[in-house]
Amino acid sequence: MVMVMNLAVEVNNLRKVYEVHKRRGFFAREKTEVVSVDSVSFTVPEGQALAFVGPNGAGKSTTIRMLTGILTPTSGDARVLGFTPWKDRSKMAFQIGAVFGQRSQLWYHLPAGDTFDLLAKIYNLNPVEYRKRRNELVERFELGPLLDVPVRKLSLGQRMRAEVAASLLHKPRLLMLDEPTIGLDINARHQLRELIRDWNRNEGLTVFLTSHDTGDIESVAERVIIINHGRLILDDTVDNLRNRKEFAGMSLEDALAHIYGLEHDDSLDDVKKEALIV
Amino acid sequence: MSFLKKYWAIAWIAGKSNLAYAGEVGSRMFFLTVILYIFMCLWKTTFANAGATNFAGYTPRDIIWYLAFAECIMMSSPRVTPLIDEDVRTGSIAVQLVRPLSYPLYRLASNFGEQVVKFAVTAVAAFLIALLFAGVPENFVTGFLFALLVLPFAFVLDFLGYLLVGLCAFWFEDTTGLALIYSRLTMIAGGMLLPLELFPEQFQVVLRSLPFAYIVNGPARLFVHPDAEALGMVLVNQIVWIAILGLAAAAVFKKALNRIALNGG
Repeated sequence: MVMVMNLAVEVNNLRKVYEVHKRRGFFAREKTEVVSVDSVSFTVPEGQALAFVGPNGAGKSTTIRMLTGILTPTSGDARVLGFTPWKDRSKMAFQIGAVFGQRSQLWYHLPAGDTFDLLAKIYNLNPVEYRKRRNELVERFELGPLLDVPVRKLSLGQRMRAEVAASLLHKPRLLMLDEPTIGLDINARHQLRELIRDWNRNEGLTVFLTSHDTGDIESVAERVIIINHGRLILDDTVDNLRNRKEFAGMSLEDALAHIYGLEHDDSLDDVKKEALIV
Repeated sequence: MSFLKKYWAIAWIAGKSNLAYAGEVGSRMFFLTVILYIFMCLWKTTFANAGATNFAGYTPRDIIWYLAFAECIMMSSPRVTPLIDEDVRTGSIAVQLVRPLSYPLYRLASNFGEQVVKFAVTAVAAFLIALLFAGVPENFVTGFLFALLVLPFAFVLDFLGYLLVGLCAFWFEDTTGLALIYSRLTMIAGGMLLPLELFPEQFQVVLRSLPFAYIVNGPARLFVHPDAEALGMVLVNQIVWIAILGLAAAAVFKKALNRIALNGG
């Protein structure tokens, strides 16, 4: 029997080039091109939790924003849950959830419950199903006592739990998380990671996570893709990465730092680099 | 229907959220009282020096009520351009763009809900002050109803102007200067400082061919001088300008989306 694996994300030679104008004298401006994402290709099966990592400016956020349809690539192709993101952004929005680090979707002066009610209308949720889903999320994310408190009075950890719960209200098949634990204390980070991992394992939610926190990667993701200078430099399971002999005795954080550093190491030729990291 | 329902829900929550700014409401009331008192003194002196009982049909009482109504429109106008600036500059626009929503319509609905609440709260205070300074206006009920009919269109028109300025953030990043010019134009060319009827004839022709007249002067004039013909004229002009600015905003937003380069990453 052949098992058919449904792909949540399919990326082929995705490339994004920005035009940057630099002033040269009073009137003259020079146009230069900056390659943010350089011919990246990968797939993510449905139900997988993937960590998409890299140093600052590596092209992670640009990629995630192309995959959410916010940015249009310069060339290449991508399918997310069968949609071309930048062409079908509105239709695809019903199937994906997104949490962008410190950018809140909750109304600051109102209780999170009010934003939940609003999201139910934005996503055209059936009132009965919405109440059921909301109750389930409130229970799992322990939001009961917080639901009627204005968001401005919540701690960052409580607010992030409410943010993630809000992004799951419409039962998305894919959850995009861009630095979800940034600024959180250890307890809040731990709690949020557990919730995301549980949702991924129990509900089959595909998770696409970008983070600088290796704790996020180890706790949530089963696979890791590393991108640097816009290019994909590693694609492996988190376990394999941890067990590689060249990283023996290293923490995941040190291993990642080593990989990021290798990209800059001109003493290694490309063949050696390939042998070490890809 | 569900399309309208979601934007109605956004307007509702924006209005509700705005009630949280109790401190801002208090400071607005204080500012309004001072402004109206200064204008009242100015106009009293002007009428006394000219020895006139009215200017272009405006009695001192009409002028005070006109100013009170015009001030309510101006002071309730939400500051939407800094929000768009911030959305573009910080990348927060991403939060809105990943939802099944149109960003300009989301901002319109949010702006509308906020302005309705701000206008209602400001109007209560402004009307009390005007009542104290000038007494009950003539045709209050008819004037109020006529003004209410054109106010929603005035709010939308005002929003579209600010939206066009705000969308310039995709090119300039900071639109504070442009927004300041736009708000001063609305004050002067819209007839807040001086009813348009008091301008020289040639100026009036020019000013009435601009959208600003239908944001401030149209509703404020109908409030003090309700007239069915004028009501129709204001409504037609508002709808035409909404169509023109709406199409312009849609075109600019489409172009802006192609330029989008969110911060971070």
